[in-house]
Amino acid sequence: MRTVLALVKKEFIQVLRDHNMLRLIFLMPLIQLLILGYAINIDVKEIDTAVYDYDQSRLSRDYVRSFAAGDYFIPEKPDDIELMDLEQGFTTNRYRAALIIPEDFSENIENGKRAEVAMVFDGTNANSAGIAMGYSGLVTQQFALRESGYKPSVEMRRKILYNPDMESVYFMIPGIVVTLLTMLTSMATAMAIVREREMGTLEQLMVTPMSTPALILGKTIPFAILGYVEMSLALAFGIFWFNIPFVGSWTLLYALAFIYLLTTLGAGMFISTVTSTQQQAMFFAWFFMVFSLLTSGFFTPIENMPEVVQHLTLLNPQRFFMTIMRGIMMKDSGIAELYPQILALVIFSVVIFSFSWMRLSKRVK
Amino acid sequence: MRKIKFLALKEIRHILRDPRSLTIAVLIPILMTLLYGYAINLDIKNIKLAVMDFDRSSESRELINRFYNSGYFAPADEAAVLLAPEEVLRRGQAKAVLTVRYGFSASLVNNESFTLGLMIDGADANTASAAASYSEVILMQYLADRLPPGYDMPGINLSQVVRYNPDMKSSHFFVPGLIAVILMMISALLTSITIAREKETGTMEQLLTAPVKPIQIIAGKVIPYIGLALFDGLLVWAFAVFHFGVPMTGSCLLLLFFGVIYVIAALSLGILISALVRTQQLAMMAALVVTMLPSVMLSGFIFEIKNMPLILQGISYIIPARYFILIIRGIMLKGSGIAVLWPQAAALVLLTMVLLGIAIKKFKLKIG
Amino acid sequence: MDRAVVTEKLTRRFGNFTAVDKIDLAVEYGEIFGFLGANGAGKTTAIRMLCGLLLPSEGTGRVNGFDINSQYEKIKLSIGYMSQKFSLYADLTGRQNLEFYGTIYRLPRRELKDRIEELKESLSLSEFIDRQTGPLPVGWRQRVALAAAVIHRPRIVFLDEPTGGVDPVFRRRFWELLYQLADAGTTLFVTTHYMDEAEFCRRISIMHRGRIIEMGPPLDIVNKYGEKDLQETFIKLIREKERDAQNQVSGS
Repeated sequence: MRTVLALVKKEFIQVLRDHNMLRLIFLMPLIQLLILGYAINIDVKEIDTAVYDYDQSRLSRDYVRSFAAGDYFIPEKPDDIELMDLEQGFTTNRYRAALIIPEDFSENIENGKRAEVAMVFDGTNANSAGIAMGYSGLVTQQFALRESGYKPSVEMRRKILYNPDMESVYFMIPGIVVTLLTMLTSMATAMAIVREREMGTLEQLMVTPMSTPALILGKTIPFAILGYVEMSLALAFGIFWFNIPFVGSWTLLYALAFIYLLTTLGAGMFISTVTSTQQQAMFFAWFFMVFSLLTSGFFTPIENMPEVVQHLTLLNPQRFFMTIMRGIMMKDSGIAELYPQILALVIFSVVIFSFSWMRLSKRVK
Repeated sequence: MRKIKFLALKEIRHILRDPRSLTIAVLIPILMTLLYGYAINLDIKNIKLAVMDFDRSSESRELINRFYNSGYFAPADEAAVLLAPEEVLRRGQAKAVLTVRYGFSASLVNNESFTLGLMIDGADANTASAAASYSEVILMQYLADRLPPGYDMPGINLSQVVRYNPDMKSSHFFVPGLIAVILMMISALLTSITIAREKETGTMEQLLTAPVKPIQIIAGKVIPYIGLALFDGLLVWAFAVFHFGVPMTGSCLLLLFFGVIYVIAALSLGILISALVRTQQLAMMAALVVTMLPSVMLSGFIFEIKNMPLILQGISYIIPARYFILIIRGIMLKGSGIAVLWPQAAALVLLTMVLLGIAIKKFKLKIG
Repeated sequence: MDRAVVTEKLTRRFGNFTAVDKIDLAVEYGEIFGFLGANGAGKTTAIRMLCGLLLPSEGTGRVNGFDINSQYEKIKLSIGYMSQKFSLYADLTGRQNLEFYGTIYRLPRRELKDRIEELKESLSLSEFIDRQTGPLPVGWRQRVALAAAVIHRPRIVFLDEPTGGVDPVFRRRFWELLYQLADAGTTLFVTTHYMDEAEFCRRISIMHRGRIIEMGPPLDIVNKYGEKDLQETFIKLIREKERDAQNQVSGS
């Protein structure tokens, strides 16, 4: 209908004139992609370790050296901190671990007895501590095996699919793209509708023969288009700057993105019905985005969350689109592999979009 | 002084009257605390592992059991075993596939060379590298336990002690940091918007025509938010201590003191942003990018600053949250006092004074 | 003969509060009708019912021959509306606003283009029609808003306080434009606070607390109450009615 086109055209003129909106669409994603792409890391490495070697034998020195191999630990003998003051080394964050080798270490080993060694870890970051503990066990095991002279004949041949270098960026960028898309479409839609109400032009539109469906379409279509634009820009940036792979079908991605957009636009519409100022709309959209981000499997795998939370994530459309985006980009997944996610998205989009539509229609009357 | 009190009261009334502001101020922090406390868990466990055992010996079974009993790996669906490893990974039925060819047990007995196959889904890089490391450990342990006669392996008992968080709860790490994030959110975000709103609606001009000094206006605007921010901080802190069991080993007073300084830093940021910006929309956007994003991403809240590129590490030095997070974790988890925390404390105080100074100057310029 | 606007016992309640109380309006085609009343008297509510924005609680009405209870969509197509806030899109130019509203009122492209040129001439918009409406001075914005309200040549135009906050020179000019419209046959339904403007109208009505307390040509009303001019008459009338209302309440 021409009316809808007129609305869409008007909205675009407004958006293009609105410098803030332009910054939101183009600049913010760029900054976020850069920061997030580089900042996000959960590697555990270069753990400063205070070493107290009271044995000072060939064995103990070899043992300490085996900690230095690989970049998990950085062992060093602390010049200024006695074992008694180890606490201080931890509270000043100078060290995150300590290795204590008693003086009877090599003696025990040579006599065929079990040698005792102790390690203390700073447990503040539980995750890092856990991983460090694991590494220390591995190092010790490797050392022991080497000392025995036994060379095992069995080895593991590893093959890593889709992302042989295990770059976390490959994993993160698709997630970031989805996040940006979600944020833009829900926030901008909500704000556009609320702005109309705030300015009073909504009432003016009510007096015209414009139908409510036309109005809603006119408000959502521009942001669907902008969403696609942003998604494309972000993907292009990811591919050309971060060199992330894209091995799947672009058509499928864009088609499925449409279904996902229905959920985010619906969310934006819903937000516009519960807020009265643009500022509130922005806030609510922001929080909606943060929550759906955290429960979407972006930072942490859903399998790691408590049972209850895992079930809750099933209500989050972003979770499904994340899987879809990653699958298409990295594994060339198609409908055959992704049909559960697609089905879930379709259900969500229908429910959310129609519910929000009805709510908005009522409010607008 | 009276004027400030009056202005502050007006602002408080504004806040209380708006149920949505209250939601933002109270409900959201609680929800965030629950979310971060429970949902975020960076430990990687229960990785879905599919195993194809073509050897079917007691040795292969024992190895496979070790994988599953380690807690790091969990079995995949039965049906996965019927497909080729690539297919299993493609369909997402497992994150890793272990293939034990026929001849495994024989090679162990005869000490012949043999390779096991491990195919890992690299899409989720973190899980992939975890799977790679864990499997190496498990295999090594298995082989070490089957040391053939004639080899002597030193027996080393590695006792491991975890300080400050013996139960290794991730909430102990995240929730104190969350306090810093929330304080920043309330202080910077809300102030920048309120001041921008005042400018937009023209009431700022109104205020300026009254016999009120600019600094009194700022104080009147800002004090209610200090109160609100501290209230929220206290709320999350109470949640942390009483619900999540985060220890409070150090001095409450010290924490409160630095909390206030941190809030002042955040508020200064908020004022600075609103002084430089014309509309509410822009204020909020700027606040999000300049305060929230760095405070969450670059402050050490979740991600290790040490591992970031140098530029980002450099930026982190001017983020107040970076220092406050070290302070709050130090005080709560390690019982650290000024003797230990003075570098962070000094940096925070310095940063706060600079920010406050710039904020006031810019604000005066704007309206003067 | 058909009337432009006619209502019978039109009522609107909001909970316990009766905003519009059984009003009977009659506006002839081609006349300029002034809709007066104190603040809160119920004028805006009444207009919204006539424009199809609000459904009446009771009573009937016809605008342009269409029933306001059941045919409000048809009403919307045939009327023009200019609100207090002038409801233009600030970041669009005058022309873009006109193109927008014209399209919504279903004007075909070619006709819309010609119509905009026509309005540019008749309402003297050339100087600023291609500038963004937001930063324009109030008086100019007002003219663009009027153009938007009449772009589809409606038979009736509702104007809700169109001259609020505008200086006397512009107000006079605006009313000259309104006269132009009326001469061309458009019916104008105008709310205003300015009594001198009311005197320009052919007929007026005065609302008080939801009721119409007077309706007719301004001169007749002034003569009826023997005051100097419409302003004094208005004040006297309102004061009287207020006193009556108070007396009723206190039961004396």
